[in-house]
Amino acid sequence: MSQTRRPKRGFWAALIGIAVVGLGLLAYIATKPKQVREVDLVGDPAQARGYLLGDSAAPLQIIEFADFECPACAQFATLTEPDVRKRLVETGQASYRFYDFPLPIHRNTWAASNAAACADEQGRFWEMHDRLFDSQDQWNGEATGRPKGVFTRLAREVGLDEARFEQCYDENRYQSRIAANRAEADRRRIGSTPTFIIGVRGATAGARVLPGTMGIDEFMRNVNEIRAAAGGGAAPHATPHATPNATPARGVGPTR
Amino acid sequence: MTKRMMAALVALAGLFIALYLTLYKLGVIGQITCSIGSCETVQTSRWATFLGLPVAAWGVGYYLAVLAVTIAGSTDRWADSRGVSLVLLALTGWGALFSAWLTYLELFVIDAICQWCVVSALLSLVLLVLAVLDYRELRLEADPVGGEAA
Repeated sequence: MSQTRRPKRGFWAALIGIAVVGLGLLAYIATKPKQVREVDLVGDPAQARGYLLGDSAAPLQIIEFADFECPACAQFATLTEPDVRKRLVETGQASYRFYDFPLPIHRNTWAASNAAACADEQGRFWEMHDRLFDSQDQWNGEATGRPKGVFTRLAREVGLDEARFEQCYDENRYQSRIAANRAEADRRRIGSTPTFIIGVRGATAGARVLPGTMGIDEFMRNVNEIRAAAGGGAAPHATPHATPNATPARGVGPTR
Repeated sequence: MTKRMMAALVALAGLFIALYLTLYKLGVIGQITCSIGSCETVQTSRWATFLGLPVAAWGVGYYLAVLAVTIAGSTDRWADSRGVSLVLLALTGWGALFSAWLTYLELFVIDAICQWCVVSALLSLVLLVLAVLDYRELRLEADPVGGEAA
């Protein structure tokens, strides 16, 4: 048996060294806290109206900036958002507003936002929103350069008038609305998708910008902390900036 | 240090890269921003899954297998085993081929490069080279005259 093949102390030391460094790095990355910024909710989007779910007068406001083609957004929409709706929106505790934030690296995302806006015209935005995220792999830029066929099928599945939908889609009828939502993201210096802004209506403190997808536990922890930070300073029904469901003029840019 | 020991160190490094990519793919690690880099493009492409599992998870399995074989092959019991060399050669040969295929997909099909995937591909290549050297070394020791003549 060759002496050169005997395990050496140096080998084990190196192996353990790499293991320790690797595990340490992984543990650091996995547990690294996300960057959270405090923001002021005053100057809430009035012109870029997004898409509202729930009661606009609800005490908690949740705003999401998302890209329909972003995988992390799809992850949130399919795994976490159903629980958020059930626990907060359906119970009247929160309103949920979605803003398009189509990123240039995703080639079909504007088309998807267009499809969602056209669904909104027939009162089915959220159904289309859910179907778009559910079927992202069928229409994203990796899958096809012509997503319209998939969108039309989804429109049919969510019960839209197909002819009306197609006409709206082909006209790009809501491009200015999508652009306004996108501009609102820029105005708020949103840097990645999804990004959430959560705050208590009327509160002068505690609102947060939360970048990145997260599970329901982390989401609820943030909500609870935001509520606690807002404390008694909130005046749930006194804030004019929580945009009601009423629709302002289309294509108007965001408030600056 | 023997070639197998070097291969074990390389495999361990590769294991952590594969683990990182797997955790990223599963959404466990950090924020998955959509605005930077092409790792996301590669990781979210249809090619990032193989037989129902993330490709990175297969990478974890591969590096674990190489690590196990090389550590076992570095012990006194297996140090001179030709079988270990052959298993290592087969494993790393397969790994290098698979990595080459993935790199081809990145360059010519997905049209995006994931830096961690490139590092992993390079490690696979290094593992194959070490496995070949280990095999040759063992053959030379077993048959020094024939080996030199060859």
